[in-house]
Amino acid sequence: MTDGLNGLKRRDFLKVVGASGAGAGVLGCSTEKVERLLPYVVPPEDITPGVATWYTTVCGECEAGCGMWVRTREGRVVKVEGNPEHPVSRGSLCSRGHSSLQALYNPDRFTGPMLRQGGELQPISWDEAEQMVADRLGSADEYYLFRGFAGPSLAGLMSDFAGATGGQVVRYDPLAEAPLREASRIAFGRDVVPWYDLQEARFLVSFGADFLESWLSPVRDGWGFARMSGVDEEGGKGRFTFVGSRLSLTGQNADDWLPIQPGSEALVALAMANVVSGGGTSAGPYRNIVATYTPENVASATGVEAESIRELAERFAAGPSLALGPGIAGLHRGATAANVAVAVLNAVAGNIGRSVHYDAPHLDAPSAGFAPMEQAIEAMRGGQVGAALVHGSNPAYALPASSGFREAFASVPFKVSFASAIDETAAEADLILPDGHFLESWGDSSSRPGQWAVRQPAMRPVPHFDSKQTGDVLISVATRMGQDLGSETFFDHLRGRWADLATLGGAADADAFWHESLKTGLAQIGPAPSGSSGTLRQLDRGLVFDPPAFDGAGDLYLMVFPSARYGDGALNANRPWLQELPDPVSKITWHSWVEMHPNRAEALSLRDGDVVRLSTEHGSVEVPVWTYPGIREDVIAVPMGGGHTNAGRFADGNGVNALDLLPSEAESLSGGLVHFVSKVDVTPTGRRRPLASISGSDSQSNRPIAPAVALADLGVEAADDEEGDHGPLKELQGVGGFVPVETGGRPEDFPLEGARHGEYGDEDQPRWAMAIDLDKCTGCSACVTACQAENNVPWVGEGQVTMGRDMGWIRLERYYEAVDASRAGPVDVRFLPMICQHCGNAPCEPVCPVFATYHTPDGINTQVYNRCVGTRYCANNCPYKVRVFNWYNFTGEEPVREGLGHIPEPLNWQLNPDVTVRENGIMEKCSFCIHRIRAHQDRAAVEGSTIADGQVIPACQQSCPAEAIVFGNIRDPGSRVAQAALDERAYRVLDEMINTQPAVSYLKKVTFHEVDSGEH
Amino acid sequence: MSTATHVQRGALPHPDIQSLEEVNRAILRPLGRPGLGWWALLALSIAGIGLLAVSWGIQLWLGIGVTGLTSPVGWGAYITTFVFWVGIAHSGTLISAILFLFRAPWRQSIYRAAEAMTVFAVMTAGLFPLIHMGRVWHGYWLIPYPNSRFLWPNFRSPLVWDVFAVTTYFTVSAVFFYLGTIPDLAAARDAAKGLRKKLYKVISLGWRGTDREWHHFGKAYIFLAALATPLVLSVHSVVSWDFAVAIVPGWHATIFAPYFVAGAIFSGIAMVITLTVPLRKAFGLEAYLTNKHYDAMAKLCLMTSLIVFYAYLSEFFMAWYSGEEVERAAFWERLFGHYWWATWIMLVCNGMVPVMLWFKRVRYSIPALFAISIFVNIGMWFERYVIIVTSLHHEYEPFAWGLYRPSVVEMGIVVGSFCWFGFWFLLFTRLLPPVAIAELKEVLPRPMRPRATAGAGGQGGDR
Amino acid sequence: MTKRWIRAFAVALTLLASPAFLQAQDGSAGVPVADGEAAPVQPIAFPHTIHAGVNQIDCQYCHFSAERSVDAGIPPVSTCYGCHQIIGGTDERQQAEIQKVRDYWTNQEPIPWIRIYKVADHVHFPHMRHIAAEIDCATCHGNVQEMTVIEEVNQPLAMGWCVSCHIERGVSRDCAVCHY
Repeated sequence: MTDGLNGLKRRDFLKVVGASGAGAGVLGCSTEKVERLLPYVVPPEDITPGVATWYTTVCGECEAGCGMWVRTREGRVVKVEGNPEHPVSRGSLCSRGHSSLQALYNPDRFTGPMLRQGGELQPISWDEAEQMVADRLGSADEYYLFRGFAGPSLAGLMSDFAGATGGQVVRYDPLAEAPLREASRIAFGRDVVPWYDLQEARFLVSFGADFLESWLSPVRDGWGFARMSGVDEEGGKGRFTFVGSRLSLTGQNADDWLPIQPGSEALVALAMANVVSGGGTSAGPYRNIVATYTPENVASATGVEAESIRELAERFAAGPSLALGPGIAGLHRGATAANVAVAVLNAVAGNIGRSVHYDAPHLDAPSAGFAPMEQAIEAMRGGQVGAALVHGSNPAYALPASSGFREAFASVPFKVSFASAIDETAAEADLILPDGHFLESWGDSSSRPGQWAVRQPAMRPVPHFDSKQTGDVLISVATRMGQDLGSETFFDHLRGRWADLATLGGAADADAFWHESLKTGLAQIGPAPSGSSGTLRQLDRGLVFDPPAFDGAGDLYLMVFPSARYGDGALNANRPWLQELPDPVSKITWHSWVEMHPNRAEALSLRDGDVVRLSTEHGSVEVPVWTYPGIREDVIAVPMGGGHTNAGRFADGNGVNALDLLPSEAESLSGGLVHFVSKVDVTPTGRRRPLASISGSDSQSNRPIAPAVALADLGVEAADDEEGDHGPLKELQGVGGFVPVETGGRPEDFPLEGARHGEYGDEDQPRWAMAIDLDKCTGCSACVTACQAENNVPWVGEGQVTMGRDMGWIRLERYYEAVDASRAGPVDVRFLPMICQHCGNAPCEPVCPVFATYHTPDGINTQVYNRCVGTRYCANNCPYKVRVFNWYNFTGEEPVREGLGHIPEPLNWQLNPDVTVRENGIMEKCSFCIHRIRAHQDRAAVEGSTIADGQVIPACQQSCPAEAIVFGNIRDPGSRVAQAALDERAYRVLDEMINTQPAVSYLKKVTFHEVDSGEH
Repeated sequence: MSTATHVQRGALPHPDIQSLEEVNRAILRPLGRPGLGWWALLALSIAGIGLLAVSWGIQLWLGIGVTGLTSPVGWGAYITTFVFWVGIAHSGTLISAILFLFRAPWRQSIYRAAEAMTVFAVMTAGLFPLIHMGRVWHGYWLIPYPNSRFLWPNFRSPLVWDVFAVTTYFTVSAVFFYLGTIPDLAAARDAAKGLRKKLYKVISLGWRGTDREWHHFGKAYIFLAALATPLVLSVHSVVSWDFAVAIVPGWHATIFAPYFVAGAIFSGIAMVITLTVPLRKAFGLEAYLTNKHYDAMAKLCLMTSLIVFYAYLSEFFMAWYSGEEVERAAFWERLFGHYWWATWIMLVCNGMVPVMLWFKRVRYSIPALFAISIFVNIGMWFERYVIIVTSLHHEYEPFAWGLYRPSVVEMGIVVGSFCWFGFWFLLFTRLLPPVAIAELKEVLPRPMRPRATAGAGGQGGDR
Repeated sequence: MTKRWIRAFAVALTLLASPAFLQAQDGSAGVPVADGEAAPVQPIAFPHTIHAGVNQIDCQYCHFSAERSVDAGIPPVSTCYGCHQIIGGTDERQQAEIQKVRDYWTNQEPIPWIRIYKVADHVHFPHMRHIAAEIDCATCHGNVQEMTVIEEVNQPLAMGWCVSCHIERGVSRDCAVCHY
């Protein structure tokens, strides 16, 4: 494998101890024949070569503000993980968070400040650049500072700066929850985005809010949802109903689905409120409104039978319940009304203060309206704007073309971008002042009143890029303009604020407080939020609850939804990990698609992969069809995040930007940009493009891959389910002399009878095993990216994925069991993270001619990369098809062929030094994160200690928001994995069919509807 | 003239042969100056070898990814062609060794060509395990040899068995082939002049045709025949275990060994027909390769065809009878799924077309036989393609189902392998007597046999 | 007659040699890092004889992380300077070399030592495990206290060498102990 990785070799990385600029020199050397060892000049006290150092910080990917643990080796960030102490992330992280590493080491970052001269960006010194900004802002009588999400301190500094220098700050969030905020104001007089506690509810209704993927705080809600829906000790289980026109990933996790008419969320909510409040009597000021909307009245408009709504409402009333949304599906012309309706529903069900909190709301949630942006565009077009600064947002991409932002922005004489890497807006700018990545910068976050966290740099700025924190830039510009913002550097500014927080929090010693928060990654200031319930206020605005008008003719509604991978995708598309992460719903990578119901597709005689042209009055895009039973026949949906024109080498040209189909219109009440307002024409182009999908089949084809058990049958079902209907078969085999082994998962079973051939472990060895609870797994795919980051799993490129050569060690399978868009009813979509099962009786092992794969004494089916000769026999013989092959060398700095995976400098700085980087022609697969096991064993051996249960945590388990994965030594009866393996829901995939004796036990999904037991 | 009473039992009459001298002349004639057509073919085959080299070069340079192989179909055209050539290799030894032991003298006229085919086919087959390997430069790790790392190959792996089976088979059949040619080489030596004479002198090991030499020759030959016979069965059984040992639905069947051996003989005989028909025409050997020979081969072909077709049917039956969802799905997919066309080509070419051989008129019509043999060759290649690809693409895990389409590079290598084979066979036709002179003479009616001191020309292979 | 025997002998020889040849192909886990040569010229003529030999400085004083990390660690310049602030060397040569150290310190630059020992990327050698097992450093690195110029000794870090030691000491021979 030495030749497996060009440029930065794993070992240099590990041996070269340089937390300083020396690093850059080193990398130069590493490719030379003679290899240099560069010691520190002065060793940082907290760094030991070969030993990871961890720092706490806060994720800067979205407003949720997940606490992070950052793993660094020799001064380089190699992995990010959730901070277990932090109330939002609770130790887990989403795919986007993991992929932030690829933004830090993004090869398309600006190498330094740049000035556009003659259309070309030329390097310029920071000093000149800042002076220039100072001069231009000084001369400009009016300028705008467009900002996206920035921590409280930076946001504060920005307003100070703008205030001092006579500019206006305009915040713009592409996916703003402005209607939700306005609705909160109307209903409860609180101009906030409420805070939701899903774990407090036992019955959940989402009106199209995709809280597991893109809405507000997916990681925390993923955790809460798992608590809500997981089977508890009493054998009870929370229920979840999804109300909307399209099943998102969130919808696929629902137990029931009401496929309502687009735009009729308000009606359903009110009708439910009507039932819950006994005809509206307890609905306070909304009494009359609620009274008018009986289930019967709304049935026709919503397309849902009254009974269904009534049933739903009764469950909701039974509580404890929670209604969420409407989310993206509700961002139509009636958005605020819809949100009010949902608020009313929560209020009448008594959820305020229990599962919905207005007193301790979700701070810094994206809720800026589109209206201020509209005015800014107007002003820029008017020409009275002298300068425009853009930070942390990419409006040129994330605003519909019809908004005219691009033109207006272009007309501004002096445009400054703080983007650290190229994006559509920065491409228009005259001056580039690259900001540091959040992993190299100072900052803070506060996702909720009283909850504070410091964002601290986990490494020195990546030496390839001469970046500077925008905070520092603003301060120095202000100073040059003769303004004093009260501090020398942004760090001082931050410390100042935190000194105030310390006093606020009643901490005696500000420094101690600061260091403590740095250590734990969290600071709790003031009392924990109380559960005060809000009361509904009189309506102060006229609301129309009936379904809003949709533009355009035809009978097809166009839904442009945030991608489960990118969200809006404005700033995070240039990441191979995200590009190649199969979309949790469609399982498609890299390119865009349009979701269409099979019947509709048939009517238009379209198949998967047929390219169609979607056109509205605002624009048109061409995109391949993906047929999906989880969407109403009269709706088609396109994800955001595609169609970048200038966002870097990995993003450009993939898919389409569906926002171009939308009008730029602010909702009348909240001023939020409306998304779901158009009908669309679909015209086949006659062209085809194979979908870069990893899905071979959406159906289990009568195989017990991902069986489920009805809640009613839990505890009732006898253990003979273990046998399935294969008992006779086993007897038959018994006669033949081959007696398959009962793998009840009992600790004393190990080593397994049938597994006592050759290399298998003796009694004193552990038997590493895993258990995955499919009832908790939401298919969010965070584990997939976490695994890729941890194990140096290469990305392969769109063409290769299309061929079926994706290399993910975790294949998150998705099977439809019950998905019917024609009427209200149960939903049953099964998720199953398929990894190497580390079989006790592994079919791959005997067929390898060179022992490249074999069983270690501690029960791991290991793959010795440097022994593999690449016959691929093991992969052929693996019934789970979890072995992936290096068809090319995907780990070089240059692609072997056009469009193939590669790891250009400095992306290769991220490679995990503890894991071998594989070369061309080698088989690989899940290793149970064996390097983590070995690390613990080394430590234990040196310290003379032992490894406790739960100490070894694979990357997938670590990142799982639902905490669905357990790992440990199954021979230890007390271990959590042993317990899980004994659960009545536990089963091993295909085991009873082919006696592979997997080390991975899955726990069956629990459904409310009947499933034919045993099988699935 | 053909006083059959004197003829060795079972031998076929050669009514058109007048004298023994004629035999030598006729059979050694090809060794003379080659014609234009031969050169053209040789050039073509060399070009094909070039194609093979270039394609393989590209694959080594860029990576095995240039093939159409993917997950879940990890084996494709390469292994298909490997099995195909190993199969071809079989009839040679069958004809020369088994039929020899069973005293079926009709083999004499064809076994030389058949054996040559065997050797070259194994040489071709041997390429593919190397070609399909991800890191061929480590391929020698499959060979057990003492090393400082205390590492050995995994003797449980059928691929290691393959290494032994194929190399053994090559060694034995090559030696057997060479031994059989020695007397004829001597005859050639006596007929040839100049450089050729020197060459033949060396490789005929100074054969003089004395009784003592014939005595030893006979012994050695029969021993080697006995040694080669079990290989005919073992080699292809081992190859079949590459599949039977795996748990892939469509591979994991006990019938595989006999099924593959029958298939091998089937394809081998077909290939012999394909090769000898043009040979016979080009070199005017009609008197030696008579209709009767082809009749015999056709019968063998028909029989093996029936066995193979039976194997197909029993596979489908067992799939249904097992009641295993996965097995059933695999075979349903085979018949009506994405690769239905390949399956039907296989069924038609191997099962239906050969049925025509029931008719004597067909068996006695050389063009018809030639056509049928071509069909069989195609059919047998697709048989392996079907077994490998359709089984792999539709396995246990529905979400992991996938498709495979051979790439240009793969096709280049497969085509190249045929040229590589053709290249050697062309050389054979020019450098060695295509028909075994000595043995042929044995089966000629007595009156034609002269006394031990026959005139020149006859002397070489004479006795 | 004799000719034939010679030929036969030659054939026999080649046959016997081939395994040896193949063994040679095993390749060593070690990687040529110092341009092939065992003892390259280092930026500073650092004499282990004086430090480890005469002055009896413990290996881990400089290679500070050997007992708690997979890596032994290269002494930071500050460590060198710590002593050589005071110790200036006796003769010219020494003074000249030590001056280099001080220069590196004053320029705050790391010393670009040339690497001697390196195992392949697919081999994991945890120093601390071997220290904990009380394996003497010299077992692998030789008697450095007798080396004026450090050089690769004992072995080319070949797998066979590791394995034989593991067998002698009856510790694991499992592949996945070092390869993952």
